[in-house]
Amino acid sequence: MQDFFINWLANVPGTAAPYAFAALGLIISERSGVLNLTAEGLMLVGAVAGVGTCLTIGNHPLVALVVAMLAASIVSLLFAGLVVILRVNQVIAGLSVVFFCQGLTGLIGTLANWQNHPIAGLNKIAIWPLSEIPAIGRILFVQDPIVYFAIPIFFAVSIFLRGSMLGLKLRAVGENPAAADAAGLSVSLYRIGAIVVGSSLLGLAGGYISVVSVKLWITGMVGGRGWIAVALVVFARWAPWPALAGALLFGCIEGVVPRIAAAGIRAPQYLVLMTPYLATLAVMIWVGARNRGHQGEPGALGQPHVREERR
Amino acid sequence: MHDVAMIAVESQSAPPPKLPPRRGRGRVTLDIRQTISPWKQAGILGGSLAIGLAISVVILDFAGIAPLDLAKELAGVFNADSLRSVLVRAAPLILVGLGAGLAFRIGFWNLGLEGQMVFGGIFATAVSIYDIGPESTRIVLMGVAASAGGILWVLLAYWMKVRFRVNEIISTLLMNYIASYFLLHLLYGAWQDSKTAFPQSSQYRPFERLSDIGSGVNSALLVALAVAAVAAWAVHLSRAGFYMRFISANANMAKVVGVPVRTISLIVIAASGAAAGLAGFVNVSSQEGRLTQSFFDGYVFSGILIAFLSRNDPIIVVIVGFLLAVLFVTGQTLQVFYQIPFTMVQLVEAIIVIAVASSEFLIRHRIRWTR
Amino acid sequence: MTSALELTGIKKSFDGVVALDGAVFAAKSGEVHALLGENGAGKSSLMNIAAGFYVPDIGTVAIHGEAVALSGPADARARGIGMVHQHFKLVKPFTVAENILLANPQRHFRSGIRDIRDGVRKQAVELGFDIDPDRRVEDLTVAEQQQVEIIKVLLGGAKILILDEPTAVLTDVEAERLLETVRRLAQSGVAVVLVTHKLHEVKRYADAVTIMRGGRTVATADPRVASAAELTELTVGQTAPLPDRTERPLGPTLLNVGALHCARSDGQVMVADTSFFVRAGEIYGLAGVSGNGQAELAEALIGARQPLSGEIWLEGPGDIAAAPAAVRREAGLAAIPADRYAFALAGSLSIADNFAVATIESGCYGPPWLIDRAAIRRDASEAITAYDVQGVRSVGQKAALLSGGNAQKLVIAREFSRQPTVVVAHSPSRGLDVRACAAVHERLLAARDRGAAVVLISEDLDEILALSDRIGVMTRGRIVAEFDRPADRQEIGRAMVDHA
Repeated sequence: MQDFFINWLANVPGTAAPYAFAALGLIISERSGVLNLTAEGLMLVGAVAGVGTCLTIGNHPLVALVVAMLAASIVSLLFAGLVVILRVNQVIAGLSVVFFCQGLTGLIGTLANWQNHPIAGLNKIAIWPLSEIPAIGRILFVQDPIVYFAIPIFFAVSIFLRGSMLGLKLRAVGENPAAADAAGLSVSLYRIGAIVVGSSLLGLAGGYISVVSVKLWITGMVGGRGWIAVALVVFARWAPWPALAGALLFGCIEGVVPRIAAAGIRAPQYLVLMTPYLATLAVMIWVGARNRGHQGEPGALGQPHVREERR
Repeated sequence: MHDVAMIAVESQSAPPPKLPPRRGRGRVTLDIRQTISPWKQAGILGGSLAIGLAISVVILDFAGIAPLDLAKELAGVFNADSLRSVLVRAAPLILVGLGAGLAFRIGFWNLGLEGQMVFGGIFATAVSIYDIGPESTRIVLMGVAASAGGILWVLLAYWMKVRFRVNEIISTLLMNYIASYFLLHLLYGAWQDSKTAFPQSSQYRPFERLSDIGSGVNSALLVALAVAAVAAWAVHLSRAGFYMRFISANANMAKVVGVPVRTISLIVIAASGAAAGLAGFVNVSSQEGRLTQSFFDGYVFSGILIAFLSRNDPIIVVIVGFLLAVLFVTGQTLQVFYQIPFTMVQLVEAIIVIAVASSEFLIRHRIRWTR
Repeated sequence: MTSALELTGIKKSFDGVVALDGAVFAAKSGEVHALLGENGAGKSSLMNIAAGFYVPDIGTVAIHGEAVALSGPADARARGIGMVHQHFKLVKPFTVAENILLANPQRHFRSGIRDIRDGVRKQAVELGFDIDPDRRVEDLTVAEQQQVEIIKVLLGGAKILILDEPTAVLTDVEAERLLETVRRLAQSGVAVVLVTHKLHEVKRYADAVTIMRGGRTVATADPRVASAAELTELTVGQTAPLPDRTERPLGPTLLNVGALHCARSDGQVMVADTSFFVRAGEIYGLAGVSGNGQAELAEALIGARQPLSGEIWLEGPGDIAAAPAAVRREAGLAAIPADRYAFALAGSLSIADNFAVATIESGCYGPPWLIDRAAIRRDASEAITAYDVQGVRSVGQKAALLSGGNAQKLVIAREFSRQPTVVVAHSPSRGLDVRACAAVHERLLAARDRGAAVVLISEDLDEILALSDRIGVMTRGRIVAEFDRPADRQEIGRAMVDHA
């Protein structure tokens, strides 16, 4: 029994990491007032770019992850151009970019023959001597470097949003673009910047799945995690630390699935695979049931901004 | 008579003072258009569509298909054999297009079309497996069951929205995944065809299949056209359609003015689910003839594309659905003969939607240079 | 002395609709210069150009005699022009200090906030305001938010202060206090531009007045010398006649609101225990500055918002507080909401459709399976003519193309096509010019004369006084006083303030 729990919890940070990075990236871009539904697609871009890099230049996982972040940021410019410059409906633009990415990554993955080729990827490292502590040692101190990297990133984004001039301006753009415009900020530039920076984290999330977790590329391997991340952001009320908590919760839920089979418990395989999605729905229902008003949502989320409007 | 003590009445003819010369280019200003002629609108839409297709052709070229070969394949689609295939493929596409269009019309983002297709297929297959009803009416029963399955799955999402304000974009998409896992559960489990090792149900019996009538036209297409006709009547001629326009234009106002928003929304969303469920049955029954694990792949975005391009109009949905079927069949040919993965079709669809969505910008705004 | 701010020959159109046609304006330092005109005269557009929000098609802006080409509001602020808009440009969830820091960026957040806090406290004291820099803007009253806007602009170094209809959202007492402050500011050397349509403010507080009409400047005058009648004639072109009132016998109570509680979208309770009744053949006017629950009350009455508790009783169906809007419509309730395009019209649909939607359920436009479009067009055309809706080339054109006054006439045409028994009108003449205003008032009086019970909710005290048979004063969500006709303006003003 104890083994079951330790095995399960030891894998939670690794399972939670993609959710955490994706949610953080979405928070950054949505704080600027842009409804960002592109997570699933950009994570795929990061995933395929990560594995592709390893297969092309040899196994340099950190380089691969950086490439993943860059690739996602570049593709996010398409989304940014659509919603900020062309004022396309943000839902349609987000969905289109997701399908664009699904098609593009599938195409590239197949044409470049990257599909189903395992890579060495990135492995966990043990922080000795802390890793020797019974039970907790394995859970907290034997993880891959990216998991550890998450902590300073979350701190940085949190401080950025609450206590910096740039963060103040970003939040103003998301709450009341008219006020931000009046204060001399370029709403468009802030939104584009937020989308690009946020998308780099989406790329990292996707790259993590392919380079660190699964260590290969399969078409569509993100498997809906992007949509769960979108729901997570609502649940976390657009704040970084609650998002991390939510990511850990989903890491637990997703992590339980393989453990059950490994523990020899016989359960209908596909029904068990449904659990993360059912859990997300349950969370969203719970959020809806407890909330009376829209708390935390950036005031101008989803509305395009044009200055010369006539009533 | 009144001597108004004025300081000055500014003369309108005084010349303006010299302005320092403006360096550089002028600035771009955006105006929101008040009116636009329908011809201009159609022109912009057509132009963007052409650009989207052109980009797709370029990408296909990169992937190894010269434009000339592509044109040959496209032309080849219009021979009798391929045309049959196109018409069969068109039926479920038209139905999901109608489903998507109806829901979008009243502002409900029903992205759960695939999940509804799955449950449509499941309910219809259940009728087959459990041998419900006499042979002569079996197909009708399966169709009704399929619609019921779709309605059930979409109303679940609608209930979550009404009762718990759960955003339907996320809920319907997640429910697609849940539905497909449930399907796998059945196909690898209780409903697996004992004759093969694949995840598929037993073959439908002949009287349970939608087959060709006469030479070439599959009854599936007739089902789709019938539903399209009903939808077109509802949207354009009926009072409910009149109300729907108000719900989509301004739901708050509709409520205040006395439009039965809740009732109409419920009916329309249920109809949307029914159409998608029916699409699932039609697809399974007219193509494979048995429930398989991925018969519904790619239909969500196809539905969105059809609804978007046809502006949610049922009559245009038929045309766009047919054109998309051409694209699908061409895509299949490319896959077989040129080893281009089917995800290429997804990419082309996305490019088309992006191109057309971008053109809305030109329709809604006028750009001016000012110095 | 050269003017601090001078605009010459300004022309501006918005997609073919002319807003300014050769307007001029000049204000000096140390004076309060009023910009007077009716709604739609172009005052706000002109000042938005001065503050850098719009770029003129033709014309120049000069600051202290030097012609400038403003690249945006920040540029204007850097040159010393600060504007306080009617709709405040404040970020509600931020604190006062954060909002001001946003508008006056410093290098570092922590030190910047500290400096801003000190600056706010000092400036507030100088102006006689009581503002705590660490309070969230959304927790402040409307008057306090306006004070924040003024502090924001002054801390930014504004030497030219433009106030756009500042007293529209204030009680009489708050307005007086504000204008006194403004006069003191002018005395200290600031050039103050006061955009307003209220003549009494101009007469009391302004040193000079520029009058605009139809996008042009028609005159400049000294308000201390010119008479009210002269200024009125210049502003409106011709005095509109006051509508006639006839004495009517009152009928039975048709509308009875009891202990109504309503909340705003974010949960805050805006209507707290409101009760009043209206009889057939009378106009009940609800006076009060906006933000005291009027909007939520109006929405509850027309069916756009569910009240938390209480009852809304209509003759016929009884208590309809929880019932869907359709029930009220059947009972003969007509709604003229404040925001036309939010609750009354679907802008993207045709005029004919917007007209027909109210009565189509009755079957007069065909059975449920087939709409009679010809009948719709016919009735709509008749109504357009009967209610003098201008600017209609065809009843098939989009409703959004109608100007404010004509859109309102369309709404009234539709609502009155069914001979309503109860009329709920919320700020019905907001944004309308004098002629359209008079037309709306005529219709409301006509409804009253026909025996309807009319509820008139308006922040325009003149409108309330002119039309109402009985007046209720609404403050902080309740009706605190009621007056019969003829009502004393001073007493009403006092009622608004005493309970604030």
